[in-house]
Amino acid sequence: MVGSFLEGLLSGSILAGTPLLYATLGEVIDERAGIVNLGLEGVMLMGAVVGFTTTVETGNAAVGVFAGALAGALFNMVFGFLVIARRANQLASGLALMFCGVGLSALLGAPYIGSQIKGLNEIIILPLSDLPLVGATLFRYDILVYLVVPIAILVWWVLFYTRWGLSLRAVGENPAAAFAAGKNPYRLQYQALFIAGLLGGIAGAHLSLALTKTWAEWMTAGRGFVAVALVIFSKWHPLRAIAGALLFGGAISLQLQMQARGVPVSPFLLDMLPYLLSLGVLAVWGGARRHAAPASLGQVFRGTE
Amino acid sequence: MISTSEQVSKAFHFRKEWLVSLIRFIGLFGLAFLVFAIILLAFGKNPVKAYVDFFSNTLGSTYGFSEILVKMIPLVLTAVAVAVPSRIWLINVGGEGQLYIGALFATWGALTFDTLPVWILLPLISLLGFLGGGLWASISGILRTKGWVSETISTLLMNYVAILLVNFFVFGPWKDPESANYPQTAQFVDAATLPAIGDTRVHAGFIFPLAALILFYFVLSRTRWGLEMRAIGGNPEAARRNGISIAKYILLLMFIGGGLAGLAGMCEVSAIQGRLRPSLSPGYGFIGFLVSWMAGGNPLGIVAAAFLLAIVTAGGDILQMAHGLPGSVVSILNALILFVVLSRQGRKVGLKW
Amino acid sequence: MNKKGSNIGLGFLAVLISLVIVVVFNLAGTISAQPKLKVGILHIGSIADAGYNQAHAEGVQVMKKNLPNVEVIEVENVPESADAERVMENMISQGAKLIIPASFGYLDPALRVAKKYPDIKFEHPGGYKLAPNLGTYWVSTPEAFYLMGIAAGKTTKTNKLGYVVALPISFFLANVNAFHLGAQSVNPKVETRVVFTGTFLDPGKEATAANALLDQGVDVLGVIVDSPITVVQAAEKHGAYSVGYHYIGVQKFAPKGWISGVAFTWGELYTRFAKQVLDGTWKSEALLSDLSSDSLTIAPFGPAVPAEAVGLVKAKKQEFISGKLNVFQGPIKDNKGVERVKAGEIFPTTNLGKMDWLVEGVIGQAK
Repeated sequence: MVGSFLEGLLSGSILAGTPLLYATLGEVIDERAGIVNLGLEGVMLMGAVVGFTTTVETGNAAVGVFAGALAGALFNMVFGFLVIARRANQLASGLALMFCGVGLSALLGAPYIGSQIKGLNEIIILPLSDLPLVGATLFRYDILVYLVVPIAILVWWVLFYTRWGLSLRAVGENPAAAFAAGKNPYRLQYQALFIAGLLGGIAGAHLSLALTKTWAEWMTAGRGFVAVALVIFSKWHPLRAIAGALLFGGAISLQLQMQARGVPVSPFLLDMLPYLLSLGVLAVWGGARRHAAPASLGQVFRGTE
Repeated sequence: MISTSEQVSKAFHFRKEWLVSLIRFIGLFGLAFLVFAIILLAFGKNPVKAYVDFFSNTLGSTYGFSEILVKMIPLVLTAVAVAVPSRIWLINVGGEGQLYIGALFATWGALTFDTLPVWILLPLISLLGFLGGGLWASISGILRTKGWVSETISTLLMNYVAILLVNFFVFGPWKDPESANYPQTAQFVDAATLPAIGDTRVHAGFIFPLAALILFYFVLSRTRWGLEMRAIGGNPEAARRNGISIAKYILLLMFIGGGLAGLAGMCEVSAIQGRLRPSLSPGYGFIGFLVSWMAGGNPLGIVAAAFLLAIVTAGGDILQMAHGLPGSVVSILNALILFVVLSRQGRKVGLKW
Repeated sequence: MNKKGSNIGLGFLAVLISLVIVVVFNLAGTISAQPKLKVGILHIGSIADAGYNQAHAEGVQVMKKNLPNVEVIEVENVPESADAERVMENMISQGAKLIIPASFGYLDPALRVAKKYPDIKFEHPGGYKLAPNLGTYWVSTPEAFYLMGIAAGKTTKTNKLGYVVALPISFFLANVNAFHLGAQSVNPKVETRVVFTGTFLDPGKEATAANALLDQGVDVLGVIVDSPITVVQAAEKHGAYSVGYHYIGVQKFAPKGWISGVAFTWGELYTRFAKQVLDGTWKSEALLSDLSSDSLTIAPFGPAVPAEAVGLVKAKKQEFISGKLNVFQGPIKDNKGVERVKAGEIFPTTNLGKMDWLVEGVIGQAK
């Protein structure tokens, strides 16, 4: 019985954690470049709605995923224009982006509520999926779940082992110095936001095409903000984000799993855990943690931007 | 001492510069409305008729106008909640959570002391609302003074904890036994309800944002504390060397900011809803943040911006009823207004005063 | 820069002023041919949700078809906060004489507006308070859920049934209890697990909850949230059976695993309300209809349901209508062991608002 509890918990965490991880990876990239995007929720919603409507129209979920990713990227470019070209306040712009995403996605999605799609189906990798415990939990998911960890590793590798990643992080630490060293901070930041938008769009598309296979207004229900917290929790590091997403995804699914098993637990106190954990992690490693944030990102947080 | 004539000409110059800024602001809003009209056209709607309905519904009737005021009460409070700490460059994105905790404390008071007469109970729960929001924000303030967590991050995260905490109480210990197990508290007694003015929903709570604005302006420009705050905001190092305790101001201003948002929560739960429910606020905390930034933390600007956003939010109804648009489409209009204003702010932070 | 800015600003100021002029002119002449009755309805979600809201919306459409001189003002996605009041006031200013605030949480706002406008009539679904101009209506659903339980009990292969429910509201608890009692009556080995998502609509949580139940071996999933799409699809994908709620057309989402559903078909009731308002016979009452009502329809059975179950359901339905059978007849214990209904007694349907427990055999937390 414990086995099936662990199985259920693990598979629930993986399913709930996947969109979180995609969104977090995107946010890690742009925060490493010095930009905070509080509008991640809006980006995910655009990915979800465009993904869903495209799938309804074309009948092909893969096309839907691509369309959702692209929609997220383009939406993020609006944000990029505001904060890079116009040097607008990042926090306010992010919140504005979120409101815009909520409204725009509602407008686009309204005619499609109640539509049916086949969505992204599970890819069962035989015979791996017949392995006890591990098989059922690890090898019965849609392709986006399988791809998320390799993509996280790819992001890590790009950020820390390529020249582009190095330049990006330099911009995040000290844009003036990076500029003096011959980099173009603006172009790098736009590129970061574009990629972040792709990932955020995929996160949203996973929600509407794989997990629920439907569309409803504001269906991300705050997951974009959880991702922002997750970035902090993982100390802006893509690999730690994997563990973090699993943990946060686990928290979301844990209280539902426990209910299904008849264990008395307050869902609200459990739901608070991810946020309290993030705060705790930051508070405990306070001094060191402060230096984990990209320095010019700190400027935003200190309000001198 | 400057002569009277010099004072007058200074005031006049100030007024003209101010008027130019105002006109520019209106022009920006016009741009946002124009883009929204294009979006409406793209979806096959008649933008002219939509705007006519929009404005006649919100401004064209006493009720409509009163509803704008009703919305402005919490918006101005949550905006000043952001503006006060922003004077020393503290970023308070936690207005929503502070609002909820303020409502929580106020609800506790209303439910526990329901036999007290109105002239004790109402001030009591107002105080509790202020206290609740203030304490919640103080957590972030303390984390900041200790140098552990930036207040931007902590206030943001505390929002969600606050909403979940309210859910916990409303689904659990405070659930109304009369409401078929529905997650809401018992109804507030009349003594705990802010009285309404006339036939409208505008309620006595409007004195709070009014007082907040006046006090904010007065303290900032006429008192020593305001001077010290502006010193910290201008040059923290110099201020510290002059003996001004920055930590004290961080704690104080976060507390006051949170308290104001908490008052907004108390107003909503006491005057508008009549009981505590999970769906207490449609994002007033976040919209207040946007109002404050649009206005550059300036009290008059806050009133103007809150007024505008309230109109837009209230106008969504008629767009849905008469034009078949989903109600959340007004979020796009709100966002456009913000985009347009934000894209200008890089050069100049809000209205100069 | 300064000058250009003020020019643009002045330009838009002119636009704004002209708009105001147009508004004033418009306000002057808006009287045209009026229909005989305007009905306003507020929805908490989207009317295409294949669930709660669509059922209400289609009811209103049927009313419109039956009475061509009735006009409908419909607003979706009205939050259950005090904004609902404003929407109702807006409808009244547009001429609505009958308002249907179609969600439980609209009751308080509706009562406030009702007090302000004694000439306007209100009909609130599921409410528990009346006013001289506000009536409530609902159909007693536990009997229908009992019937669903019978069908589920006969169809399940694992004897594990599950329910994804939004909130532990008394009426929902009563439904789940009735479902379990019905299933138990034909299959004593069944157990029913309940998971609450905490909100009326959150597809992500509903999918996760459904998966959690399915992972446990549940092979019949029922759902009580605003839109059943997510849960029914999750069941279908998993090869499990599903029981629907609210809307009559949900089976298209689960062609193989569909068992049946409890659907609301409000059309005739709304037609009656409108007629009563039109000819002045409307009165405020707490209308609670039973299985024989035209507001409740048992959805067609799916291919997986054995024929004997269908026959049994029909028979039991008649027994409920004739009063021979009662869902909550004692003895009944709750899932904590407390006796809730004594032997020989019946828990009355009018008391459902006080039910805050789950019956024995249901795994879940009522509070």
